[in-house]
Amino acid sequence: MHESSLPGFLGVIDSAISRTESFLLATGVLLMAANTIANVVGRFLLGNSIFFSEELNRILIILITFAGISYAARHGRHIRMSAIYDALPPRMRKILMVIISLVTALFMYLLCYYAVKYIGTQASRGRILPSLQIPVWVILVWAPVGFFMTGTQYLLTAIKNLTSKDIYLSTYVLEGYDEEIEI
Amino acid sequence: MAATIFSVMIVLLLLGFPMMIPLIIGAFIGFLMMFDGFGQMETMVQQMLAGIRPASLIAVPMFIFAADIMTRGQSAGRLIDVVMAFVGHIRGGLAISTAAACTMFGAVSGSTQATVVAIGSPLRPRMLEAGYKDSFVLALIVNASDIAFLIPPSIGMIIYGVVSNTSIAELFIAGIGPGLLILVMFSIYSYIYAIRNNVPTEPKATWRQRARTLRLALWPMGFPIIIVGGIYGGIFSPTEAAAACVLYALILEVVIFRSMSLDDVYQTAKSTGLITAVVFILVGAGAAFSWVISFAQVPQEILSAVGISDMGPIGVLFVISIAFFIGCMFVDPIVVILILVPIFAPVVKSVGLDPVLVGTIITLQVAIGSATPPFGCDIFTAMAVFKRPYIEVIRGTPPFIFMLLSVAVALIYFPQIALFLRDLAFSK
Amino acid sequence: ETWRYAFEESMADVQGVYAQKFKDEIEANSDHEVQLFPYGTLGESADIMEQTQDGILQFVDQSPGFTGSLIPEAQVFFVPYLLPTDQEHLARFYRESEAINGMFKPLYADQGLELLNMFPEGEVAMTTKEPVNTCADLNEVKFRVMTNPLLVESYKAFGATPTPLPWGEVYGGLQTNIIQGQENPTFFLYSTKIFEVTDYITYAGHNNFTTAVMANKDFYDGLSADDQLVVQSAASAAYDHTVVYQAQAADIELAKIMEAKPEMVVTVLTEDERSCFKEAAVQVEAAFIEMTGDSGAKILQQLKDDLAATAN
Ligand code: NA
Ligand code: NA
Repeated sequence: MHESSLPGFLGVIDSAISRTESFLLATGVLLMAANTIANVVGRFLLGNSIFFSEELNRILIILITFAGISYAARHGRHIRMSAIYDALPPRMRKILMVIISLVTALFMYLLCYYAVKYIGTQASRGRILPSLQIPVWVILVWAPVGFFMTGTQYLLTAIKNLTSKDIYLSTYVLEGYDEEIEI
Repeated sequence: MAATIFSVMIVLLLLGFPMMIPLIIGAFIGFLMMFDGFGQMETMVQQMLAGIRPASLIAVPMFIFAADIMTRGQSAGRLIDVVMAFVGHIRGGLAISTAAACTMFGAVSGSTQATVVAIGSPLRPRMLEAGYKDSFVLALIVNASDIAFLIPPSIGMIIYGVVSNTSIAELFIAGIGPGLLILVMFSIYSYIYAIRNNVPTEPKATWRQRARTLRLALWPMGFPIIIVGGIYGGIFSPTEAAAACVLYALILEVVIFRSMSLDDVYQTAKSTGLITAVVFILVGAGAAFSWVISFAQVPQEILSAVGISDMGPIGVLFVISIAFFIGCMFVDPIVVILILVPIFAPVVKSVGLDPVLVGTIITLQVAIGSATPPFGCDIFTAMAVFKRPYIEVIRGTPPFIFMLLSVAVALIYFPQIALFLRDLAFSK
Repeated sequence: ETWRYAFEESMADVQGVYAQKFKDEIEANSDHEVQLFPYGTLGESADIMEQTQDGILQFVDQSPGFTGSLIPEAQVFFVPYLLPTDQEHLARFYRESEAINGMFKPLYADQGLELLNMFPEGEVAMTTKEPVNTCADLNEVKFRVMTNPLLVESYKAFGATPTPLPWGEVYGGLQTNIIQGQENPTFFLYSTKIFEVTDYITYAGHNNFTTAVMANKDFYDGLSADDQLVVQSAASAAYDHTVVYQAQAADIELAKIMEAKPEMVVTVLTEDERSCFKEAAVQVEAAFIEMTGDSGAKILQQLKDDLAATAN
């Protein structure tokens, strides 16, 4: 668990968000395992399947993915092809990293906006999950939240690069794959 | 439109943007151009969410979780000790065992990504220790995992069978020949690699040492039994087998070996979630991009320009191979099958090709595609799990791709590689 | 203009036959072009439905079983023994039914959809690993059903253990015996190769698979009177073509199954053997009314009246 590099109250919020994301990630994976196993036990031993098992896993995978992309952005863990980037001189790398962060942030915010609209459309149509009988839009709310958080991480990365001497992959990870970060 | 999008994507990729961005921007441009503005962007979000919806994807985080627990604990180490005790003294023995393990695990799990994680995580450190270069190790893991597509059960073959109205049972049997042929070729290559790079061997273990490793690995031996016995015994589906492995791994490491605390389990779950997210956002973005390609009827346009209807059977097979190879470089394999198979169906029929042979060739190409740059899901998975840069993951792949492609060409000229077992089993 | 039409099956299946005829008719009688998108090429059933509601697609074929999560009343087609097995009767019924053309139309319109046709895809058969002659034979059988509450209710009432399984895992699940049965129309048993991994095909006459073709409503309303007529005539021609095709399809596809697997046992249950299935149906009908209230009860009653009216 890292401490936020942001100053003051923002830092407190940032740390709290980071902790929330990591909690959601771990809990999501553990629940997914528990749910899947419970379905096997139910079907094989008790002769009764859990009907909402598949839908529950669908909810969890959305949760994990969208909590995870923000957490990954925070830790500089998104996959990229850095061969050409690595060969550039430091000044160029810094400029490029600022551009990459800003463009990525822009598209994350755009996707957040369209995800909110998509959820609104879903809600107005009233589609429900057949087994759980809950509205579909409810299980999608993690998507815009995740896009927004990820966009913010990249925006902060751009700011961090503009305001400090070194080059940062994320708000606190310096560039270079070599430090094996344990998360 | 397609040319513009592909060029933009390649440039963004090469500049070092996070891999999801070229896919997202590619899809974005497609939506902008097709619908004259931002009016239909909601469908892009719909397709990103649809990409991570398939129930079978759950196997991926579950196998990652199980493999991570086994690797952080003692199970994986004990299992590998057994392998080393039996093959450590043979040149390339560990590499060949890795390839075989990938084939077997891939065969039952049906997921190439899960194989990369489950077999790759524990075996890669051992291979590095044993003196193999990382580029070779990564390429071997990524490519050997793809044999999973050819050995039944194979989701790719099921989809092909349904779309093309071909016997899935025959397809399953036809995939075994080429799958084993690839394994043999990889093994020979590993052997030659080990000799040329002078990978040291260990002294031959005595039977007493071997018995000791076996005894220590008694509990972990339960894993293959759970997976193989559980799936073929009708207790669970491949996805559920993954979850059962998680449970068994937790029992072993937390209760029996006491090598992990509950906090370790929590941390492992978190790291599993992170890897899953990093890979799945690419799956989602890829789905949105595939939708654009499909909606714009890009493959139909390209193929009508090629003039496939005037070709003979060999020419058709080559065009099919190339089309699937290129398609899978950019788009999810399942979607490629769904889009391209109906387009080729009439010409396959008119030149009188055996649909089972065509299906085997397509499945092979799809397998090659998911390990081929620039966009290959197995490459992404390896990067996320092993924390290695893109270039290092793909550096060692050319010899493997060459071997895979030569099997593909061999299949075109010697269909019996695939059809021999089928003909035997179905007495044709 | 280019119109886009997506459906839930592959080109050679019943929905594909309808779609191709529809395309041919439109293109022969107007300057418009129709592009067809079979199963999976633009997403799953729910996705293509949403894309039609958004106006990205102009036409979509979605079965009421899937539409049930959007329009609960559409699940009425899952009430067992509501529809007859006589295909000629069915063909008249779908064309003339007041429930479909009068009551369902506004329900679809509320969702931004113009309902063009509902048509039959064939009698649903059970395929299993062991023979099924009565409800008792389904006892302890893990039977794969779509995750639709009424289907689940039906198979519970039949005495089976309804088991949800994603479609992609059904073939493998039957092969390894995770499940021992599933249901689908005959042509689908052949085209999806499910017959390879089951040994008994049983017709209990409990259901007839229904599907629906619709257009985006704004698109349809915005068409000229001439174009609306072109669409209506194409839908009508495709309907006539498809009911004739599908009435024979079940036999043709069954023959193909028998040729590929001569040891397959095909049973049509007698009236007597069906009695316990029919008794169970009462319970499912009650469940449907509980789920959909007055609106569902009215539609159900109207459907019954329509069926009686078109009986001969
Ligand atoms: Na497989
Ligand atoms: Na690829």
